[in-house]
Amino acid sequence: MTISNYHAITLIITSLGLGISSGASAAPPPGRLLASQCAQCHGTDGRAVGDMDSLRGESAGEIYDELQEMKYSAKTNDIMHRQAKGYTDQQLWLIATYYAGLSNRGGSGSNTAAGTGDHEEDDDD
Amino acid sequence: MNSISRRHFLKLAGATTALIAASPTLKAQALPGRVVVVGGGFGGATAAKYLRHWGGGGIAVTLVEMNPNHVSCILSNLVLNNSLSLPKITFNYEALKSKYGVTVVQGQAVGVSGKQLLLGSGSSLPFDRLIVAPGIDFDFQAIGVRDPANVLHAWKAGPQTLQLRDQLRNMTAGNSFVLTIPPAPYRCPPGPYERACLVADYLKKNKPGSKIIVLDANPGIVAEKETFTKAFTQTHLGVVEYHPGVVVTAVNALAKTITYTENGLSRTLTPAANQGKVGILNVLPPQTAGRLAFNLGLVPAGQKWAPVNALTYESAVVPGIHVIGDAQSTPKPNTGSGQPKSGHIANAEAKVCADAILRAFAGEGPDPAPMTNSSCYSPITASTASWLTATFAYDASNNATMVAVPASAGEASAPTSDNYEEMFDWAANLFADTFA
Repeated sequence: MTISNYHAITLIITSLGLGISSGASAAPPPGRLLASQCAQCHGTDGRAVGDMDSLRGESAGEIYDELQEMKYSAKTNDIMHRQAKGYTDQQLWLIATYYAGLSNRGGSGSNTAAGTGDHEEDDDD
Repeated sequence: MNSISRRHFLKLAGATTALIAASPTLKAQALPGRVVVVGGGFGGATAAKYLRHWGGGGIAVTLVEMNPNHVSCILSNLVLNNSLSLPKITFNYEALKSKYGVTVVQGQAVGVSGKQLLLGSGSSLPFDRLIVAPGIDFDFQAIGVRDPANVLHAWKAGPQTLQLRDQLRNMTAGNSFVLTIPPAPYRCPPGPYERACLVADYLKKNKPGSKIIVLDANPGIVAEKETFTKAFTQTHLGVVEYHPGVVVTAVNALAKTITYTENGLSRTLTPAANQGKVGILNVLPPQTAGRLAFNLGLVPAGQKWAPVNALTYESAVVPGIHVIGDAQSTPKPNTGSGQPKSGHIANAEAKVCADAILRAFAGEGPDPAPMTNSSCYSPITASTASWLTATFAYDASNNATMVAVPASAGEASAPTSDNYEEMFDWAANLFADTFA
């Protein structure tokens, strides 16, 4: 996947207006629900525990690139190949941009004052 | 992947409370929504956590759970062969309380009156939306169980898991372990076959001459067919005796006798030397939604599960009540596979449900294209594991339900030690995403 592909997909998504935001102030950020489906294995808000890869601290391009690589890999005996196959490229880009957005804001995706512990170190593997 | 994984897992699992952020302060705000969640398993705990995580201090969330802790069914088969202790898969609700501001009430939900959940204590909890995640219940009658109280299923992890572990440890070498598998759908499709493999592995090493007799109500292996067929016919050859298409007709749990028909012939297994030498009778009874789902009128007459809308998990029977996890059933797709019953996907469903409720409070409709996934690792021996995965997408044109994306569904080509280590990373993250 090349940079121009990212741009193409960004444009597509932008032009669709993301489809899920109705303009209400409480509209959830685009990609949040999709991205939360990664959390069972990669941690709440992408902060994994143990040896599992965290999704924090990576740019959208990096995450999207990895997902594309796994999705179109010839190595099919891989759990992430199967997972990535489950999503359209547009969905994968939404997931990537959501996690990158959390990293950029240094946020946790939490709306509670308690948050989810932003003192934790972002894991960039 | 390496042996660090397992150490990490054990450390993490044992120190859940240490992960909790200290002294939260919650904003006092006008509350646009009150949600009561009943059941603190993978579905209920995840819903409570994410409602607060996403919804913020404006959403009041109360979790009602009978027990002070949740013992995970996931990984619990590893207690049977002494690979794990029960405390490693036991989780409390401290993080939900202190980190997310969930109010946790230990008690039993007994009914609903208007917009109030009634508790066994006599008190009641007001709600705008109610989520119930009551898990499963057992239908002992369907297989002619004489003495339900004596049935050793260990299909809800906890004391029975330890009881089964101890029976296995104390079984006389040469005796048989009999495992029955209920008709699908049931909790954790690969689980019974995983248990058969781990028990077979244990018997080979510790109980020479013993075997496991698997009596499966289904016409064949329900999940990871290639993996378990190979495990039964090669890895555990001679130790697993697999009987598909079995109808269990009578069980005396205390006496360890079981009668079933197979290919039209009736047979009885007992502890007697010429009748199978049953040393352990591990019956997994046919399953239904947890009792609360029936008590609240969420399961239509003659059905076993609570039908829900796949976009919101709102009951198809009672508006304002949502059902997640094993107890619910999204509509059956016209073509393709629907969602299984498991802790991993209960967590996934909980997020879809929480998101839909938060949107509803904001006056919006649900996400029109939710996704869920089910992934798990299954140990095949005490040092190898397989995996199974599928992603599910909402399809409005396919009975308006969640349908497996065909290319996403797959199982590991072979059980490996790498998979065994990754299993602990998977579980540690799932546990943390649910309870921490």
